[in-house]
Amino acid sequence: MASAELRLVRRRIRSVKSTMKITSAMELIAASRIVKAQSRVEAAQPYTNKLVEVINNVGAASGGVSHPLLETRELSHAGILVVTSDRGLAGAYNTNVIRMAEARLIELNNQRVDLRLYTVGKKADSYFRYRGYQIERSFLGVTDTPGYGDARAVANTILNDYAQETVDAVEAFTTRYVSALTQTASLWPLLPIQPPEQAEGDEEAVTVGYSYEPSPEAILDRLLPRYLESSVFGILLEASAAEHASRRRAMKAATENAEELTRILSRQANRARQAEITTEISEIVGGAEALSVG
Amino acid sequence: MPAPFQVDVVSPEAVVWSGEAELVIARTTEGDIGIMAEHEPTMAVLATGSASIHTGTETVTVAVHGGFLQIYRNQVTLLSDRAEIVEGDVDEARAKADALRVAEEEDAADETEAQSE
Repeated sequence: MASAELRLVRRRIRSVKSTMKITSAMELIAASRIVKAQSRVEAAQPYTNKLVEVINNVGAASGGVSHPLLETRELSHAGILVVTSDRGLAGAYNTNVIRMAEARLIELNNQRVDLRLYTVGKKADSYFRYRGYQIERSFLGVTDTPGYGDARAVANTILNDYAQETVDAVEAFTTRYVSALTQTASLWPLLPIQPPEQAEGDEEAVTVGYSYEPSPEAILDRLLPRYLESSVFGILLEASAAEHASRRRAMKAATENAEELTRILSRQANRARQAEITTEISEIVGGAEALSVG
Repeated sequence: MPAPFQVDVVSPEAVVWSGEAELVIARTTEGDIGIMAEHEPTMAVLATGSASIHTGTETVTVAVHGGFLQIYRNQVTLLSDRAEIVEGDVDEARAKADALRVAEEEDAADETEAQSE
């Protein structure tokens, strides 16, 4: 008969082991998703690069770009977009972004700037809702594999509010995928659009005279919203890659902890078993002794 | 044989088609445009319709909905939110492009619906 202690320890080992199975499975799933998410980030690169190139060319040709989306307005209503995941178990992934965004919210609030909050992902939604912030628009179910349509929905919402002057500037708080080991929460100004950097010092492009159909202004008018969409798309894709990377790391740590725990627990179990055997033997010896004396 | 030039059809999710071609015909908001090598630098807004890329040995038809056409340094780039290669002729491509347009309008409708909730 196993003693009470031995039974308890064995039960814990079983439970830790089954948790370990789950965490290691999640680790593998996240690892395979990182690759996919990363290749999606890369696939979106050519489009963004070309778009930047076109914007620069149009900007240079129409001489001094001016467009409502490029003008800095006085900040009395700020839009904040927070990009998190729908699911947890990704380490500090969501906490980092949310903490950074909230610090900014408090700062803006102290400057008496009106705030409009947009959230992507369930985590940001429930965090800010619970704390009594009013959420203007919440996008759910997009973070796992964001599509261009999702980015368009986010961009359109922001653009509409910007056009109606309900926001004067929009900042996005998101997680950049630096490498498989490093993901950093960071701020990304969305609106007004900051003219993108000219890629690889392509000076010559400026001097080329383009012919435009219909006109540079009309083209710019269509280009800039597309640029915002593709920025948002880039943000979502990168955030998704970062989410999977964080989850993989968190689950790897959890699996390692579980391994360590089983090692400690099985040592405990062995000791308990040995103690039991020792007790049994000494009981038998004691009993035999008592008999032979008698 | 006409001189070949580089053509890229790029959508946000992938490079749809990339290669050398001799003739590209695309539909812009101002009308159809035919492009051969050494075309002057041009920037145009694409309309809903088809773009055909003639490589000399084959013709690739792409259904396009919105986007931009850039011709620069003998390179043609079609940037489109929605672009798909279509098996078949121009008419099928136009039909497909219309389908893409409808799909987008539906998205937009869903969007406004969600917003009014």
